[in-house]
Amino acid sequence: MDFDATDDQKVLLEASARFIQQAYPLGRVRERAYRDVACAADYRRQAGELGWFSMLVPEDLGGGNVSGNGVLDAALIGYKRGAMLQPAPFAGTNIVAYALSAAGSQEQREKVLPALMSGQASASWAISPPAGHTMESSVTAEFKGGAYRLSGCKTFVQDVDEFCWLLVAAATDDGVSQFLVPPGTPAVTVAALDSLDISRQFAEVRFEGAQLPPTALVGTAGKASGLLARQCAIAAVLTVAESVGAMDHEFEMTLQYAKDRIAFGRPIGSFQAIKHLLADMSLSLEMSKAIAVAAAKSLGTDDGYGLEAASMAKAFVGEAGVELAQNCFQIFGGIGFTWEHDQHLYLRRLTTDAALFGDPAWHRERLCQLSNL
Amino acid sequence: MSTETIDLDEFRKEVRAWLAANLKRRRSSAPQAARTETKTPEEIAESRALQRKLFDAGYAGISFPREYGGRGLSAAHERVFREESAAYVMPDFGAAGAVTFSAIARSMLAHASPSFLRRHMPKILSGEEIWCQFYSEPAAGSDLAGIRTRATRDGDRWIINGAKIWSTGAHYADFAMCLARTDWEVPKHRGLTWFAVSTKAEGLTIRPIVQIDGEAGFCQEFLDDVVVSSDEVIGEVNQGWAVAQTMLVYERGAGQVGPVVLEPRTLAPDLVALARKARRTDDSIVRQSIARAHINDYAQYHLGRRIAARLRASDQPQPAVAAYGKLASGTFSPIRARIAVEIGGPEALLWHPGDQRAMRYSINYLNGRMTSIAAGTNEMQRNGIGERVLGLPREPSFDSRRPFSEVIAKARNWDGQVG
Ligand SMILES: Cc1cc2nc3c(=O)[nH]c(=O)nc-3n(C[C@H](O)[C@H](O)[C@H](O)COP(=O)(O)OP(=O)(O)OC[C@H]3O[C@@H](n4cnc5c(N)ncnc54)[C@H](O)[C@@H]3O)c2cc1C
Repeated sequence: MDFDATDDQKVLLEASARFIQQAYPLGRVRERAYRDVACAADYRRQAGELGWFSMLVPEDLGGGNVSGNGVLDAALIGYKRGAMLQPAPFAGTNIVAYALSAAGSQEQREKVLPALMSGQASASWAISPPAGHTMESSVTAEFKGGAYRLSGCKTFVQDVDEFCWLLVAAATDDGVSQFLVPPGTPAVTVAALDSLDISRQFAEVRFEGAQLPPTALVGTAGKASGLLARQCAIAAVLTVAESVGAMDHEFEMTLQYAKDRIAFGRPIGSFQAIKHLLADMSLSLEMSKAIAVAAAKSLGTDDGYGLEAASMAKAFVGEAGVELAQNCFQIFGGIGFTWEHDQHLYLRRLTTDAALFGDPAWHRERLCQLSNL
Repeated sequence: MSTETIDLDEFRKEVRAWLAANLKRRRSSAPQAARTETKTPEEIAESRALQRKLFDAGYAGISFPREYGGRGLSAAHERVFREESAAYVMPDFGAAGAVTFSAIARSMLAHASPSFLRRHMPKILSGEEIWCQFYSEPAAGSDLAGIRTRATRDGDRWIINGAKIWSTGAHYADFAMCLARTDWEVPKHRGLTWFAVSTKAEGLTIRPIVQIDGEAGFCQEFLDDVVVSSDEVIGEVNQGWAVAQTMLVYERGAGQVGPVVLEPRTLAPDLVALARKARRTDDSIVRQSIARAHINDYAQYHLGRRIAARLRASDQPQPAVAAYGKLASGTFSPIRARIAVEIGGPEALLWHPGDQRAMRYSINYLNGRMTSIAAGTNEMQRNGIGERVLGLPREPSFDSRRPFSEVIAKARNWDGQVG
């Protein structure tokens, strides 16, 4: 994806690709093996060893990246993951680790953060609001009798189980606050959902008056909106990177098919209708790679345009990904309509990626607001 | 050949000092309409004087060989000069100037004889010779190898007959790089030759054509027994297609996408201004459109950087890779022009007579398809990307193996048979 990857980045990416190939090739994706708790734990630990969850954490807290730009390094891993439709809340866990390192209490940093980075513990980010609510207000937290009472609902929470830490944003009287919710907290219910995407598992999380001590706060009460904006941007960039990986792989599959499949005495890729579609898809893919890398570089180096760049990348790639998957589907013809063929796995994933962490329309509106329009 | 060595930083310093001492700064320009690139005789005269100044100081043809009037430095030096001079008033010969110094001069360097280059190149670099392109004809545009202008040998000179069209800036250019057929009994790519034709030549009629926005920008030409001497042939006789290949790389901007040189960081200012004027900044449909336009600009800019990196990483010219930039521009420019018209409604479609600022949205709308047609249509870029980057099999060819005379005799009654 990035032409000038450093040697260190290349080493990390090769190791990641090897791990993916061994631990979770497409066959495992189809079996939905990650639903098994032991499989998930094993996968997570190996990924943790590779540094997948450490890139956004500074070295003095036990983290570290390979190029000086942790967002870019994580995005490059995301690209490899996306190509093979990998499970695990990669963006989510990284966001939780990032939030803890940026604003967590000493206890959170010392007890929870290391376990997340090593993959011993899992964490996911509960951010998407259910219909009719906003990201900041779909959960509220009322401070009463020395504790916060959380009520409300989040959806689209990825790959959670009963051992999973959750980061959740909630509206308090003095503004938005973030809480780290320990596994097994009473009055927090996780309802697994079925979904279009079968490479990941999503859930709805309900807070029905769940009690949390002030020590569960991440950062100062009511002051989370700045950090939250950055978390959204990072999650957008990591999701974009995964989408671009998926697009790249699916495009290669389709291009090969257009060269191999014969109709009317010649390869279908010689027909201009197919050739031109592929040329347009290739342009859209090149632009998607370009904007993904640009956003990761901008956000990871704090060059003053990172939030805008992240939203632009999410909006652009969200649409380009769905468009590309639809076109691949068309080029495969009948075989693409089968369960057995892999194209639908990519169509499902890319369509879901577009909606995750803010859909294209949401990010376009956000860009307008960030630009004071 | 003596070569000068000067490191980039030192060169930058030298350039900076010279520019400050010798040239005028540009007034920061408000967004302008992409008008047809036509120039008045006064503007051309001013630009010639300015070009001469650059030439005399060693800043014209920085990466061109010294023996042909250049400075003999690298492309990186050329880039440094472009960056530093961006803030100054530079010579502007319109679209004909843009092709003179890129596509035309570069293809000449690669293919013309040393004596030809010694004769013409210093004049090109000093602003004495502005060139234009006589490529397209009424009967051949995308199919450039299918042109029908005929050049016949007559001793040590050639007699040219035919018609050219869409030649940008021909009405003020001094010379034209003209493609003609020199052998009709071979397949179309093998009978082509390039000639340098003076626009003052006897037998050459040049007629400006009014373009879609009401301005004259390109011209039509009739060549009736135009005489050109043999040493004005560019490249080898009947090997014109090789020259055309080089030219196409530069026509596509060699990886530079559109006119944008800086990362766009302000939300589509022209569209925001228009939305304000139309009092529609709260309309979510308008907001979505503005964001979409800016995102496309941003993505196109970064595509340009990506392509440039890819071209730099390869030691061969890759016209098909450069086609990505051309196709992006040809795809997104019309969309952007259309977004403006949709946002503005009457504010973009109506104006008080003479209100240049107000008319620009309509003008841009009309010119929005320039990049999707001129210098190779979107469809031709898609063919190039599909066949030469993605490796898809070529379209069956009906015309590339038979003698060209036979192809044109049969074209109207093509029976669907290939080969
Ligand atoms: C503003 C402007 C400036 C120009 N300046 C110059 C200049 O300075 N000098 C010069 O020589 N020319 C110039 N041109 C001409 C330009 O290069 C041609 O217009 C262009 O190459 C298209 O050729 P055409 O107009 O003959 O269209 P055609 O080639 O007739 O094309 C018509 C349509 O058919 C499509 N088509 C053709 N062949 C194929 C194919 N194989 N597969 C799929 N679709 C195909 C085209 O994409 C297009 O949509 C200029 C044009 C414009 C608009």
